[in-house]
Amino acid sequence: MTAQNPPDRLVALGRAIARPPLVAGVARNSPMAGLERRTVGFVDVLAQSIGAVAPAAGTATVPALIAVQAGSGVLIAVAAAWLLAICVGATLNQFALRLAAPGSLYTFTAKGLGAGPAFAAGAGLLVGYGFIAMFGVVGAAYFLQSFLAVLAGSWAASGWVAAALLVGVGAVCFAVLRRGIRLSARVTLVIELASLLVILALLAVVLSRLSPAELVAPFTAPRPAVGGVVAGTAVALTAFVGFESAASLGREAARPFLTVPRTIRWTVLGVGAVYLLSSYTQLAGAGAFGIAFDGGQAVARLASDTDVAAVGTLLDLGLAASFTACAIASLTALARAVFTLGREGVLPRAVGRIEPLRKTPYRALALVVPVTVAVPLVLHAAGWSPWQSLEFLIVVSAAGYLFAYVLATAALPAFLRRIGESSARTDLVAVVAAGGLGAVLITYLAVSVEGEPVAVIVVGGLAVLAALWYLYVRRTRSRALAGAGLFDHTTSSDLLGGS
Amino acid sequence: MSRPGSDPGLTGRQPSAVHGALSVLEEVARAGPGVTAQQISRSLGLPRATTYRLLNLLVQDEYLVRMPDLAGFALGHKVALLAGLAAAAAPAENPHDIVVELRGRIRGGVHLASYRDGVLELVDVDPDFPLSDERRLLSDLSSSALGTLLIAERRHDPLPFSSRPTPAMPGRGCFAAALRDATGALVAGVALALPEQRLAEPESLLELIAPECRRLEAALR
Repeated sequence: MTAQNPPDRLVALGRAIARPPLVAGVARNSPMAGLERRTVGFVDVLAQSIGAVAPAAGTATVPALIAVQAGSGVLIAVAAAWLLAICVGATLNQFALRLAAPGSLYTFTAKGLGAGPAFAAGAGLLVGYGFIAMFGVVGAAYFLQSFLAVLAGSWAASGWVAAALLVGVGAVCFAVLRRGIRLSARVTLVIELASLLVILALLAVVLSRLSPAELVAPFTAPRPAVGGVVAGTAVALTAFVGFESAASLGREAARPFLTVPRTIRWTVLGVGAVYLLSSYTQLAGAGAFGIAFDGGQAVARLASDTDVAAVGTLLDLGLAASFTACAIASLTALARAVFTLGREGVLPRAVGRIEPLRKTPYRALALVVPVTVAVPLVLHAAGWSPWQSLEFLIVVSAAGYLFAYVLATAALPAFLRRIGESSARTDLVAVVAAGGLGAVLITYLAVSVEGEPVAVIVVGGLAVLAALWYLYVRRTRSRALAGAGLFDHTTSSDLLGGS
Repeated sequence: MSRPGSDPGLTGRQPSAVHGALSVLEEVARAGPGVTAQQISRSLGLPRATTYRLLNLLVQDEYLVRMPDLAGFALGHKVALLAGLAAAAAPAENPHDIVVELRGRIRGGVHLASYRDGVLELVDVDPDFPLSDERRLLSDLSSSALGTLLIAERRHDPLPFSSRPTPAMPGRGCFAAALRDATGALVAGVALALPEQRLAEPESLLELIAPECRRLEAALR
């Protein structure tokens, strides 16, 4: 009925402005108090997601990894992963439109499916963010070392230098993260854009040197096997993970219900386009120059083959920076998930503390950063090469991430039904996302049993560990579980007439 | 939920986005904090998908906020930026101040109700004399003096005042005086909650509060 009123008859609104109504059930403070609130702008939120995805590092390394699985179907796999990521992004955005939650996927799952599934999603998320952060630290140290080796010669290639670099990268991450979210976001964005520019410039050089026949070659490749493409899609999807991590800045972002969904949408779209372009260029270039399309060196070798060796050296530095950005952004999201679990009492409450002056979750950081450095050090001490470590870490991380995605996307229909805002379209997209991701996760683990058996065993071990922790929490802190799903809800200052 | 005097014919014709957004804001203000998307969609006759989109846009811009249960909505701090409205709505003399003055003079509850757009709405309830049954007051118009004034108005048989015993509280009753605008239309009512014996001479009650009634009529114009 009011819909028919011309806008000059906003009677109730005028009255409400003149004398704001009392609103029961809205507290002065949210459970996430302590973290900075509504201060981080759109660019910095975008930086968080882009940093966590690390498209520069992904562009350089992932097409080769996809090719191992998908053979000639690299482009199809990348496109399929892109589509799936768009569905996942759209589904998670339905949550991000409605609640600001530093616990991101964990909290989303809690709102739809309750404490048990949320706990599982939380475990997946911790593994996902944690291992991708380790991935970032290892990658950064690896490319820094190869940059140093070019500059300083053979002494830089020793194992001690590698170990020192791992610790050094971890220390840089901790210092930046502790200074506050804005500094870490800006550092991340500048690093990522710079390294992405270097890579895109290199790809442009490669494309400019190819003949027309070489340019169409990737499209005339023989038809790949379906199973390989699905496995390749799973690998390609690992290059997208992290795009949702802007959600972990829900409290810190200014106008979070606008900036977070927009960031997630733009990140998925932009990163997918870059991956497609880069995969295509690498395929065409590798075919033209007769480079074996495997291992981490495809881009670097393309660089040397196109007589731009200086760009190749610069590329090492750019990739090191990109991996550092990935570590920083992943640790940002990881620390906020740990912080949320600490506030709820699912993890020890001490990790839910905030450093009052800098408003950063320093206890959570002090817990997660050392672990992130320690695991790569152990792998290094065990004699694993950096490339071996990277492959292992990405498998464990992807399994955790994908698992958390499956649960969070599956939680959407129940959540929307509960608040009375469900629609057939969002339900359908959520089902496609959850189903597709589930299939990809299973395929990915099945494929990894062969190539990365240790990683699959570690994933299983972590799952058992999480289940045991769940049983322990349920027995001793059932109240924490009952209250799972704390988020940064509306406070009285957000209300009309609020203070 | 049809309202006398309003044209119910626009369902299915999409109002413009701005118009829709303002309608949603008005509906949240009218229905009060905690109103859900489904209720808004139903009251406005807007398609659900349109309603969700408008609500989410208004939440993004912080004109609306979601209640902590995530299902309900309330007006956000940005609404105060619609200051032109506030200026138009703020009268020269604040009705609330007049009502407070009256409360100091009357030994009993003094409530102010609005009849704007033909709907009874309590705008200023005496905090010292809470209503015995607000739900019934709003739903069963004939149970209260305030409601009786509105019923009479709808029957084109306007009353200057009305008095009724309070059903939920034996021995107590209610007196309501009509407040009218320049055209003589009923816009508001002042209600006095009193012991039943004081309602025996309603004309003298009307006389007692007449000065404040005139000031209120001026303030509400």
